[in-house]
Amino acid sequence: MDYIPATEKDIREMLNIIGATSINDLVREFIPAFSGKLNLPQPKSELELIRHMRSLAHTNKVLRCFVGAGAYNHYIPSAVSHLLARGDLFTGYTPYQAEMSQGTLQAIYEFQSFICLLTGMDVANASLYEGASALAEAALLSCSYTGRDRIFVKEGLHPQYLEVLQTYCEGAELTLSNRIDSNTACVIAQNPDFYGNLENLHYLAEQAHRVGALFTTCVVEPTSLAILEPPGKYGADIVAGEGQSFGIPLSFGGPYLGFIAVKDFLLKKLPGRICGMTTDSRGNRGFVLTFQAREQHIRRERATSNITTNQALMALAATIYLALMGKSGLTRVAKLSYARAHLLNRKLERANFRTLNSKPFYNEFVVKVPGSAEELASTLLKEGILGGVNLGENNLLICCTEMNSVQDINDFYSVVAGD
Amino acid sequence: MSSELKFTKEHEWIKIRDEVAIIGISDFAQEQLGDIVSIELPKPGSIFRQGQTMAIIDSVKASSDIYAPISGEIIEVNDGLIEKPEIINQSPYDSGWIAKIKPSNIEEFESLMTKEKYDRYIGEIE
Amino acid sequence: MKIIFEYEEEKNTGHIQEEEEEDICIELPSDIVREELPIPNVNEIDVVRHYTNLSRMNFGVDIGFYPLGSCTMKYNPKVNEDAARAEGFSNLHPLSPEVCTQGSLKLMWELKEYLKDITGMDDFTLQPSAGAQGELLGVMMAKAYFRHKGEKRTQAIIPDSAHGTNPATASICKLETITVPSDSRGNMNIDRYREALSPEVALVMLTNPNTLGLFDENTIEISDLAHKNGTLMYCDGANMNALLGITRPGDQGFDMIHLNLHKTFSTPHGGGGPGAGVLGVKSFLSEYLPVPQVVKRDSVYSLDYTYKKSVGRVRSFYGNFGMHVRAYSYIHSWGTNIRKISEHAILNANYLQSLLKDTFDLAYNRQCAHEFVLSSKRFGQKSALDIAKRLMDYGFHPPTIYFPLIVPEALMIEPTETETKETLDRFVLALKKIRSELKEDPEMVKQSPLSTPVGRLDEVAAARRPNLRWRPSQRQTKVAVNEKSP
Repeated sequence: MDYIPATEKDIREMLNIIGATSINDLVREFIPAFSGKLNLPQPKSELELIRHMRSLAHTNKVLRCFVGAGAYNHYIPSAVSHLLARGDLFTGYTPYQAEMSQGTLQAIYEFQSFICLLTGMDVANASLYEGASALAEAALLSCSYTGRDRIFVKEGLHPQYLEVLQTYCEGAELTLSNRIDSNTACVIAQNPDFYGNLENLHYLAEQAHRVGALFTTCVVEPTSLAILEPPGKYGADIVAGEGQSFGIPLSFGGPYLGFIAVKDFLLKKLPGRICGMTTDSRGNRGFVLTFQAREQHIRRERATSNITTNQALMALAATIYLALMGKSGLTRVAKLSYARAHLLNRKLERANFRTLNSKPFYNEFVVKVPGSAEELASTLLKEGILGGVNLGENNLLICCTEMNSVQDINDFYSVVAGD
Repeated sequence: MSSELKFTKEHEWIKIRDEVAIIGISDFAQEQLGDIVSIELPKPGSIFRQGQTMAIIDSVKASSDIYAPISGEIIEVNDGLIEKPEIINQSPYDSGWIAKIKPSNIEEFESLMTKEKYDRYIGEIE
Repeated sequence: MKIIFEYEEEKNTGHIQEEEEEDICIELPSDIVREELPIPNVNEIDVVRHYTNLSRMNFGVDIGFYPLGSCTMKYNPKVNEDAARAEGFSNLHPLSPEVCTQGSLKLMWELKEYLKDITGMDDFTLQPSAGAQGELLGVMMAKAYFRHKGEKRTQAIIPDSAHGTNPATASICKLETITVPSDSRGNMNIDRYREALSPEVALVMLTNPNTLGLFDENTIEISDLAHKNGTLMYCDGANMNALLGITRPGDQGFDMIHLNLHKTFSTPHGGGGPGAGVLGVKSFLSEYLPVPQVVKRDSVYSLDYTYKKSVGRVRSFYGNFGMHVRAYSYIHSWGTNIRKISEHAILNANYLQSLLKDTFDLAYNRQCAHEFVLSSKRFGQKSALDIAKRLMDYGFHPPTIYFPLIVPEALMIEPTETETKETLDRFVLALKKIRSELKEDPEMVKQSPLSTPVGRLDEVAAARRPNLRWRPSQRQTKVAVNEKSP
């Protein structure tokens, strides 16, 4: 299908005004001219296109999901996708012209506020790409603030997040170290960690502060914040993480939603866009992007981050989700996720699975399978169940949310017990 | 030793009072920058060469380096600017001073522009 | 308009109600449990009205003409949205076994093949989440390449017309930016470029066509000189909308290119993201690409983690898959006719340039590519800003005014190919009217916009007295008089 409305007549008239005889005149200087044939598919009408796309999507198989590990299967209320489909919300650009973008800007302000309220921090930005790179930005921020170049990571960080940190550190000439000392810029800990373990990390915050380092909590499953002590209360200077649990579909890994929130003293170092409330000349309340002097398009070489796009539409999805669910809905999601995970865990223990978590867990846990984890995964797959992440040594990382019904859990258990 | 006001091509002003050099930015500079929203001040005790970036001023739409007009050690900075950077816009030559330097090479001062020369200079570039 | 936190409501039923979970007991130590959760409960009808009314204060491509230079605000086909929402795509967990994800992997692999062909590159990664991240990855890969060669290169050459992201990316990777000025034709000054080239230079970062909307006439010479010097050529592909099917950056001598799927390939801008900044490379750089890479053996697709010299990952999972679907769908829609996109983007831009070159000053008197830059310098300082604000009253989104920095009072206009001639003509009329207004009633123009929900906002106060999040102690300030209450 062709989205170009120009008619032959239009083309002739436009060329006439320009003073060119053909469109080829206008592209003559783009060299070297490509004269070959592009190996692209046949153009399709909308009908042919949607058939092709649907058949491709059908080749995938969506399973009953007992996996988290950085992407969580939560219920998304219908109103979210309907609101997001409004053209005035998703076809605009970054709100640099504030007067025409008050909708987007107010929604960003609300998003920033939700993040602060959930994490117990002072200020949040308008979102980052996703959790792992958000954590990397937290590391860059800490190094810029302290003038140091070493990062300490507590074990239990999502392996992909650790890989991304390593890549960014390599690029920015920083080091991951296993010591907390006067060279440490930042101490990082994920909570709940990759294995689901929960801890009050105030002791680690104190250790960091004693050597003048910043303490960063990484939150990958933020529904946990509905029932857990907010990191701002136990000494976090930075909270960075993934907001996908808030109204964003699994979508094979993206687009997701990174977030970062800091205490006031780090405001000037916060990367990415920030929205602030102000007034117009008539005294009306309004919103603008602010502190833009920190950003790359102004600071250029001096910028501490090169972030441009945020994830505005995903931040909007999260904001709408949080508004729809509210305090009672979000608490219910968290309690159900916890309850279902613990229900499955108890049943699995009855089938001789051994729980390996050393600490209490939220909605994810690790069990040792009595037998082959690989074979179990195969059998579960035949029943349409994605049963967990194989961590090696027959250890399985399993997650439950409110989307795993009691029936789903019983089905999982019957496969296991029938084994 | 006291002196008259002198200027750099980068629009910093400098005057000497009792062997200490006081530094700020000119009225022309603050006007060009627009409303100033924040400033990164140097640390007292730090040493700068002439021409090195010693401070950064952010306005709503721009970020500008402020260069040391002469070499020396920073002995005092105007901390009040952190809370109220707008003082630079309001009073660039007086309460909007930025830093005090102990000059290490007083001859550098001689080669800077006098006010008449500076006024002619900005007339040319405008 | 209220802020969502200003609603104080009770909530009885929720979206997730299951019979048996009356009183779930959370058995967690008290020192890790929260005391209170300070987020509001709002009834669904009020939430829907709230965000619907917020959306009505917005402007998007679906509302009107959006000639924001360098952003390629073309129409976002809705069929791409339906494609992305198919259950097999949107509900698929990224850690599903490969036997369940062949549809997605095939899509990603084929998308890479199309992009390789379109750009003349040998390999692609779909991992970067945005153009800036694609750039960051490219610079990291360049550094890795030189490290393996045993060369230490610490500089990047960047023209002064470049977007701020380029020097920011270079500096994060600890490369010194050497800025080369542009000449009177808008090309990078070739003599100054030659002087700047030294064994220290790791890469040259060019946008082509550049932010002035001009194709650099010396591109091939720039590449040849770079390669003779062992320097890599990096293309910021933000302006690819001018080149589809006409010329290929790979053939111009570029070794790396990032593309913005949310610009050239029609994925929606979303109010500021999500985007996707895929990176293409020549074969000698392939081994440094991030893992995992989507590969095809026989007719089976899988994720390959074995790239030994890979720089690693730049994000979790595989990239913004939802945007890959939309871009793939867009390419299937156009197929072999893809050249028509760029031809019409260029036609529309030159048409507007011809009509507007006497209304404001043309920054460079040359035929443009898919965008062009005017300057309103004649009308005084801040005139570009005033024109931009006044355009809103005429129902248009303003062009880009914040860069390029080398043109004073710049108005960067990119119409794209999806606009009708009639829209373009209306836009020209509006700009001509505003020009008259600048002469006859400049005060009014300075007060604009006059017809939007809010007038010009106090950005200085926003920065000097920041209010960046809601606190319960805030009270609502006066609501705009002409607003309907929610």
